[in-house]
Amino acid sequence: MLDGEVLTPRQQDEINRAIDIAQREGGLSFTVYVGPAIDDPRAFARKLLAALPDPEQSVVVVVDPTQRRLEIVMGSVAARNLDDRACALAAATMTSAFAAGDLSGGIASGIVLLGEQARHPRSLHLDNP
Amino acid sequence: MFGNRAGKPASNGIVAGQTAGDTLRYRPAVTIRTVLRAAAVTGATFGVVLLGSPAFAAHRDDGDDPGKGLSGLETLLIFGVIPVALFLLIALLVSAPSIARGPRYRADRGWRGPPLVFGAPRDLQLPSGSTPSGAQAIEAAPGGSTSEPASEGGGASARW
Repeated sequence: MLDGEVLTPRQQDEINRAIDIAQREGGLSFTVYVGPAIDDPRAFARKLLAALPDPEQSVVVVVDPTQRRLEIVMGSVAARNLDDRACALAAATMTSAFAAGDLSGGIASGIVLLGEQARHPRSLHLDNP
Repeated sequence: MFGNRAGKPASNGIVAGQTAGDTLRYRPAVTIRTVLRAAAVTGATFGVVLLGSPAFAAHRDDGDDPGKGLSGLETLLIFGVIPVALFLLIALLVSAPSIARGPRYRADRGWRGPPLVFGAPRDLQLPSGSTPSGAQAIEAAPGGSTSEPASEGGGASARW
């Protein structure tokens, strides 16, 4: 039995495609971690965010199926475009799919939603200081 | 009016008696209906069988040419072994893809397998070793930090 193929390649493609779409839409970079989070999921998500090359512009989604926890954290620049309400909406979208057993579909739709919410009009002199 | 007012307890008693009588009468009605239905079904079945009884006739028609009968072993092979073999073959064909695919995520069984990371650079160092010892680490460090405000730096937390 293969142990690594917990999500099928097609499901992994689905998530990767969603991340691409979201990055193109919102200009933020998205990272998804699926698996057991060490100690507290939120602290784990923060550490993961800090470990990324560009944490300010990044959004980290940690999905822990064993603890049934979902965490969305982001850097300060990303937080300017993604308010807590959008995150709560995405979290509700994802968890309702997770509760139905659809892990990859929930992640994909949540990421796409976050990307859409992060879309903002370009404002001269502010986006490129 | 008058009767109602005068004999309220009495009328209650009558109503109770009526319901009791209804249930008493109800059961025989159901039984009779069941018996009638069974009789109708049986009668109809026998009628059809009787009408078709010439089909059961054992007399030989002109010109028919029955072959020799099957031996016990042949009968067992044709009506026992072959159907069972077909059953097993089809069952195997149905379940083969999922056997070949290996374990998959099931909502009720948690996560088995290494963690997956999407959208991160290849050389990303996962915090504090994402080895399968994660379950022990979770056990060792009970979550006292749930009081951490979700609004710190934005984001959201959820359970399912």
